[in-house]
Amino acid sequence: MSNRQRSQGRVPRRLVAMGGAMLLLGLGLAACGDDTERVTVGLITKQEDNPFWVTMREVAQDTADDNNVELLTATGESDVDVDAQVDALEQMTEDGADGILIAPTDSEDVVPAIEAAREEGVIVIAVDTPTEPESAVDALFATDNFAAGELIGQYARARADEEGIEPAIAMLDLAPGIASGQLRREGFLEGFGIPEDDPQIVGSVDTEGDEDKGRAAMEELLTSNEDINIVYTVNEPVAFGAIDALEEAGTSMDDVIVVSVDGGCDAIKNGVRPGSIDATAQQYPENMAREGVLAIAEAARGGDEPSGYLDTGLRLITGDPVADVPSEDVPFGVRNCWGD
Amino acid sequence: MTAARGAVPPAQEPARARLVDRQLVIPFVLLILCFAAWGAAANLTDILVGVFRTVFDMSNFQSSLVQFAYYGAYFTLAIPAAVITRRFGYKAGVLTGLGLAAFGGLLFIPASQLLVYEFFLLALFTLAAGLSILETSANPFVIAMGPEASSTQRLNLAQAFNPVGANIGVLLGAVLILPSLTSEAAKTIMSSEELRQSQEQDLALVLKPYLGIALVLVLIWLLIAFRKMDVATPAGVEDVPVPTGSVGSRLWANRHYRYGVIAQFFNVAAQTCTWTFTILYAQDVVGISPGDAGWYLQASLILFLVSRFVMTWLLGLFRPTLLLFIMAVFGVVCCLVAVFSLNLLGLLAVVAISASLSLMFPTIYGVALLGLGEDAKFGAAGLVMAILGGALLPMVHAAVMDIAGPALGFVVPGACLAVVAWYAVFDLRTNRSGGEQLATVV
Repeated sequence: MSNRQRSQGRVPRRLVAMGGAMLLLGLGLAACGDDTERVTVGLITKQEDNPFWVTMREVAQDTADDNNVELLTATGESDVDVDAQVDALEQMTEDGADGILIAPTDSEDVVPAIEAAREEGVIVIAVDTPTEPESAVDALFATDNFAAGELIGQYARARADEEGIEPAIAMLDLAPGIASGQLRREGFLEGFGIPEDDPQIVGSVDTEGDEDKGRAAMEELLTSNEDINIVYTVNEPVAFGAIDALEEAGTSMDDVIVVSVDGGCDAIKNGVRPGSIDATAQQYPENMAREGVLAIAEAARGGDEPSGYLDTGLRLITGDPVADVPSEDVPFGVRNCWGD
Repeated sequence: MTAARGAVPPAQEPARARLVDRQLVIPFVLLILCFAAWGAAANLTDILVGVFRTVFDMSNFQSSLVQFAYYGAYFTLAIPAAVITRRFGYKAGVLTGLGLAAFGGLLFIPASQLLVYEFFLLALFTLAAGLSILETSANPFVIAMGPEASSTQRLNLAQAFNPVGANIGVLLGAVLILPSLTSEAAKTIMSSEELRQSQEQDLALVLKPYLGIALVLVLIWLLIAFRKMDVATPAGVEDVPVPTGSVGSRLWANRHYRYGVIAQFFNVAAQTCTWTFTILYAQDVVGISPGDAGWYLQASLILFLVSRFVMTWLLGLFRPTLLLFIMAVFGVVCCLVAVFSLNLLGLLAVVAISASLSLMFPTIYGVALLGLGEDAKFGAAGLVMAILGGALLPMVHAAVMDIAGPALGFVVPGACLAVVAWYAVFDLRTNRSGGEQLATVV
């Protein structure tokens, strides 16, 4: 084929390129530049093993990137690593942070370092966990733990009424003196409509939120009462431990109502979706992170200072909804869970 | 309708002749853009189902009405579009289609301000109606833009831009819409006023790509409208002829054709279901973020494109319906994996369904029309109108999702692909000549 013949069969590249450029007009909607003042925000979480904190960091970073905020991050080795948090507070203050979000590993021990930072003009917001006293920080952005317990208590009550069962309740708590666990327990009792000393509660055991301890606690309660048919768990690892113990004891999960709090992906996909966990109150670390970063950025740019308490949201997730208790389905839970 | 559904590779012909008449080069390029535009619009619609579900807080079934509006318009306008082209010519048909489609795109502006879902459905219906007319006119228009000897090459080149547009459509959604949507978690702490503001912001995101498409269509309309185009209607151009009773009877009596229409209906249904619900599967079953979920649909389309080339090669080695059977069974297996494996493996199976879909439309088309002679012209229209499957079955898929969960919805495309497999078996086990004889005798 001669060059001439070859060229006859082609559409000129210039024209094809022009066509492509016109099509890409639809893509010519790039984001506008950001002319706001650059702000520095610190985020101090408890540890990186728990996906709850990983999600919080990731959302804080995305929010920072979208809002001309430099994000400084630090985390401890465990849920009780106070020293790492104190060091991070000092370092971030020195680095010129306009504000710091902190999830206190110890509600009291971190307070002096927080006060020192605030004296330097740094805005401090506690996320997830309150300080003691609460006034030690400018604001608290956290889940309403009482409401979380109340929601699963209402659900358990409605399911019990629906199925016509005589409640025999196992309470798998957190630990003495920890506010979040105490509030969840009180909320559950309120939602279920029984007082603290109600005889329907066959036993209460502290689990420290640990799966193995949850399993052991459930085994202990089952030895004294085989007829347990409602299990309150302070979080989802404890729920999985309790389910192991119940299955080990030969109890059909269809005969037991297990409720919990958190809404992590593992629990939604492997607990709520198959039905071993009947319902869980899902909380949203992304809201704590996003609202925290935005609040500090706004204040640093001359807007309102954050203050008081912000409820960061809650939804009951269940595959088996009941009348009069608002809930979302499992796909909603999967879409909004944290972790993998 | 995407090229995926509509591209039927005609027989190879010598390609020595000029591809396009010299004075029609620019109009040809403009028409190529039209092919890309309807590919983009169709696959951007796949993304909208999930977007509207979130923005308007409604069920999967309600949000699947997006596809009903879109493909319903394509089906409804198929015959009127052919009549317009036949009566007023290609240019008038193209301009009518472009104008109506652009108007549909512009209707997204009031829709996004009124925040009424039904208004969006109206906009989509109008857009798709315009694209239906455009497509019906553009195919024969492209054929008529140069020597008959190069018409196949010309049409293939133009249709090659359809999947390019399809990928751009998904890319627009994945880049401009999905990552920026207000999260459902964020909405849990919003006041009613904040919720309304977030709805406005999210719908403004939807508006952007459609406005972009509308502006491109308006530009093309202007460039074509004010350009003189002398294009003769060549003999043998594929058009939709007016059917006669005897043609209809002959076609209906031909089981290969009759079952072929049914198989095509379920093939288009399987394709629309798969692509419509890929993103929702990723989000609802696996927990992929909206921003990342769009890339799985993008991967599906790329796999579809690549598989099509592979299938073209394999069709040279195997009997078409044998390959059709194997790939349909593969698609059914993928659907079953998606139903029972509620994790990343299930999502990859959903993506893999696109490989099985890649050969179906042209293969069913070819098998169903084989040996029909002059009746093939009207028969082709029936096969194209099987696009109705894309309007109806997504609603069934969505209803199953609402009742039994997002994964189980994939029994619907699975069942559709089983019908395609059955058609392949029918062809493999039937004496083809007997069928043809029956068609000509009746």
